[in-house]
This record gives sequence, C-alpha cells and structure tokens, in this order.
Amino acid sequence: MVIKKIKTVYDVICPFCGTLCDDLEVDIENNKVIEVRNGCQIGVKKFFSSNPSEHRYEKPLIRKDGELKEATWDEAIDKAAEILTKAKRPLLYGFSSTECEAQSKGVELAELLGGILDNTASVCHGPTLLAKQDVGAPSSTLGEFKNRADLVVFWGCNPVHAHPRHLGRYSEFVRGYFRVDGRNDRYIVVIDPRNTHTAQIADLYVKVNPNEDYELLNAIRAVVRGVELDATEVSGVPMEQIKELADKLKNCKYGVIFFGMGLTQSLAHHRNIDAAICLTRELNDHTKFLIIPMRGHYNVAGANQVFAWNTGYAYSIDFSRGYPRYNPGEFSAVEVLLKDQVDASLIVASDPASNFPAASVRQMFKHPLIVIDPHESPTTVFADIVLPAAIAGIEAEGTAYRMDNVPLRLRKVKEAPGESLTDKKILEKLIEKIKEKIGE
Amino acid sequence: MSMNNLILLTGRTINQGVALEGGKTTMENVRAAAICAFDKDDFKKLDTLVGTPVKVITDFGEVIVYSTISEEGPHPGIIFIPMGPWANQVVNPDSQSSGTPTFKGMRAKVEVMKSGKVLNAVELIKSLKEA
Repeated sequence: MVIKKIKTVYDVICPFCGTLCDDLEVDIENNKVIEVRNGCQIGVKKFFSSNPSEHRYEKPLIRKDGELKEATWDEAIDKAAEILTKAKRPLLYGFSSTECEAQSKGVELAELLGGILDNTASVCHGPTLLAKQDVGAPSSTLGEFKNRADLVVFWGCNPVHAHPRHLGRYSEFVRGYFRVDGRNDRYIVVIDPRNTHTAQIADLYVKVNPNEDYELLNAIRAVVRGVELDATEVSGVPMEQIKELADKLKNCKYGVIFFGMGLTQSLAHHRNIDAAICLTRELNDHTKFLIIPMRGHYNVAGANQVFAWNTGYAYSIDFSRGYPRYNPGEFSAVEVLLKDQVDASLIVASDPASNFPAASVRQMFKHPLIVIDPHESPTTVFADIVLPAAIAGIEAEGTAYRMDNVPLRLRKVKEAPGESLTDKKILEKLIEKIKEKIGE
Repeated sequence: MSMNNLILLTGRTINQGVALEGGKTTMENVRAAAICAFDKDDFKKLDTLVGTPVKVITDFGEVIVYSTISEEGPHPGIIFIPMGPWANQVVNPDSQSSGTPTFKGMRAKVEVMKSGKVLNAVELIKSLKEA
C-alpha cells in the first residue's frame, strides 16, 4: 500500500481579489497543490497555477542576442542594478499583487533611484483616492455591512464576475446578525449600463447610459433633497425610477454603496466618486448610509497604505527631486509612459503590457524593462531581465489589506519552485547592489 | 457588414480572470478575452455567425476579435470586450488629468472580417514592440 503524504493547510487567505477570502483549505502533496476547497473559480486557478509549468519561471533570465537566456542571480541582479542606476528617471510600477513588506522595499528603492513610484490603483481606483482626498468618505468594514445592511447598491461593478465570493460572504446571500434571513432581508440595487449577471439577481436594476453616471448621481442627490427636476429622464433613467430609487435609499435602515470601475474608468473619473460620496453623506440626514470601493488586486489597498505611510501619498509619486511629489495626472505610470518621461522600467508583480492602453505600452518597450514576476506574461516575454518570484500568499508570508483596509496575514502553503525568491528578497538584493554601485 | 455608432465598454469577466491566472500567453486567454459581445438584436443586423472575427475600430486604434452574443443583455448600441491586451488596443488613453485612462465608453465601429486573424496576446503585444 502506498501511503500518500498530503498536508492540508486551513484558513488560507486567497491572494486574488480585494475580498481576500480567509477560509480556503489547500491540500499539498510533494510541494504541489493538489486540491483547493472553498475558493472561487479564479482563486482556485491561482493556487493550481503556482505548480511548476511551462508558464512558470524558475531561474533569472537576461536577454542576450534578442533571446531570454538563463543566468545566475548575481548576474541578473548586477545587470538590473546597472540599468536602474544608469537611468535618469526609472519607473517602478506594480506592487498590488505582493505583500506589504515588499511594497515597503519598493518605496525605499524608488527613493534611492529618484524614480517614479506607482501601483495599479492608477489604472483602477486612483480616482477613488483622489475623491476621498477631496471630500472624505463615510465607510466601514465588510463585517458591519454583512451584519447590518438591508439595502445594498452595486454601482458600476459586477461582483459575480470580478469578486465572485463577495455576494456570498458579505453583501447579498450571507446571513448577518441583524439580517438573519440572508438574501430575503436585503434589497439589492444594481446601477450599470449592462444588465450584468449581478443585475439579473437584483431587486432593482437601473440602466444608466455609459459615461453619464455623474448626471444620474446628481439627479438622485437633488431628488433626495426634495427638489422637483424639470426632466422626464436623466442619463436614460426615467424620472419615476429615480424617485423610486431615492425613496428606497432614504427609507432603508442601513445602506451601503459598493462601486467599481464603472465610475472610476468612465468620463468624469474622480468627479463621479465625489458625487457618490456626497450622495452618501447627504443620505445620512435620513438614515445610516456608507460607501466602499470594490478593490481589484488583493493587496492594492495595502499598496496605498504602505506608500502613504512612507511618503505621504497613496500612488503616483515622483522622487526625481529627492523628495516625494504627488500628482496623478502627471506622475501616474500611464501618463509618464505616454509622455515618454521615463527611461527604464521595473515592473513588480504586474503585467502592464496587457493592462495599459496600447500607446503607453509602445513607449514602455522603447526603454530597458526589468520584470519581477512568477509567470510568463506579455510583459515578461519582451523584458530585458526577468527575475523569478515566489507567489506571495502561496509561497511567501506577508501582510495584505482587504478592500475595507483590514490587514490580514498571508500564509505560506508551499515552497517556491526552482531558484525563485520572494519579491521582498529580490528588492533587497537590488537595493544592496544599487547602493554598492552608487557608493552609498 | 459593418455597424457604426456603437459604444464600447470593457471590464472583468470571470472567464477572463480564470484564463489570466491559467497563463496569459495561452489560447484559453484568447478565447476568454479576445472577444466582442454584442446585444442579441444588434448581432442580427450584422448578419453573420457567432465566432466570426470582427474588427473593432475606435478613434484610438483597431483590433480583430471573435464576435459573440452577450449573456448580460439586452444592451442595444453597446459592445463589450473583456479587459486585457485586445481591449487595450482601442481604449482611450486620456485620463482627463486624473491619471486613470478612460477604459470605458469609447465610440466604436465594427466591421465583419472576411479574412483576418485574431492574434494571441504575445503576437498582439509584439506588434507594439516593433512599432
């Protein structure tokens, strides 16, 4: 009889989306993930893809004669440090899919190099951060929403696809302390241009025209204040429906707005969030109402926290004058690439070649590109140096912040394959080498 | 056949999320993210079969993707490409000084392709590298 040695790790944190589910069970045999329980489709796939495969890097690679060739860590770090020290203004971007300890090292490196430091919030919830800086935000943690909210608004977000377990854990189907009957005790509103899968299971679906959320938000604000609007519809939404919605918002016991990319990535950007936060604040004259962004990457909230406590700013930071400056319209990764204002890039745990608009990707490829990543991606395939990383939350411990800014400790369930090192270790090696080169 | 005056939206789908975790350079990613979902009635006007490649053209670029009918309709006048390298060929890089590009709500035109290949992620990005 063959006795299989299977190790089961309980209460594993899932390092995929901002919901940061903390109840996964992972079975490991021979340092391979063989089963994952409780996870969503995407989270489970992430655990399985940590196993060695043709897409996983196990050794550092350096481009020689047009091809990526295997190298030693010393060679790769030396070459990367050389590129970064030669650059006048390097871009350091990514950081949202790694642990806070590595993010902190990223800040140290950016300051040392006098470069641009940015995380993925700049193509995601950056406008949310801008709006919070403008008008603040009445918010709370997910447990409060689960236990208390009897009215839940999803505005411009589609958790069925993007945060698959959010509805089951916090916002729709779950039984809460004061919401003992789960879904039946909550009134769900979805506001979106498409009748999304989230909208299809809602109590009220409001179909808004694309790019016209700002008008609708302000129309609702006016109706909540009791103003009669001289219009039959706003943003494609009939006046009767706006009044019905305003009535529901005012008369709930405890309401919450979850919002996503539908507000931040469409025209008006942070002004949409300004208006949504102001609506939330005004609804507190009638009842208890709160608002929270649906953060995408599992630790993008952590990246904002770490950058902010180190530099004073949450994202899009420029160190070129030796002290941190902040202006997302000028220093965000997409903007500096578009204007060709950087001359080398270090990408940590991210894939800008896939996720940036084509015009910025074209500029990024003009200059040397160093990538720290566990997997093959369109960014790594065209990089000059690839440094193989252990996957944080699966092969490395660390801290991550949930979308409601609650820090959780990521677990290590297995060893990283090959010569992979943790993001933190790689950044430490880079810092050490660069200090040596510039004689500090 | 072609269609004008459409609005292009982009965003996460669960298939695209699973595919990117499974390997960004795989065919699975092409099947999940190199698609353009049409409203059912809009698609009838195109007079073609599901899966036929279409060229999506905006002021910011063009890309060839497979056509499909949206499960999240009806949304007449709106087309949807999941986030990823294909969508990013045609999104508006302008951030209105907020730092965040306008990934949603571009005016778009669609042409049914008689010939033309849907590129995989690496082939697509290679064209940017060589540009």
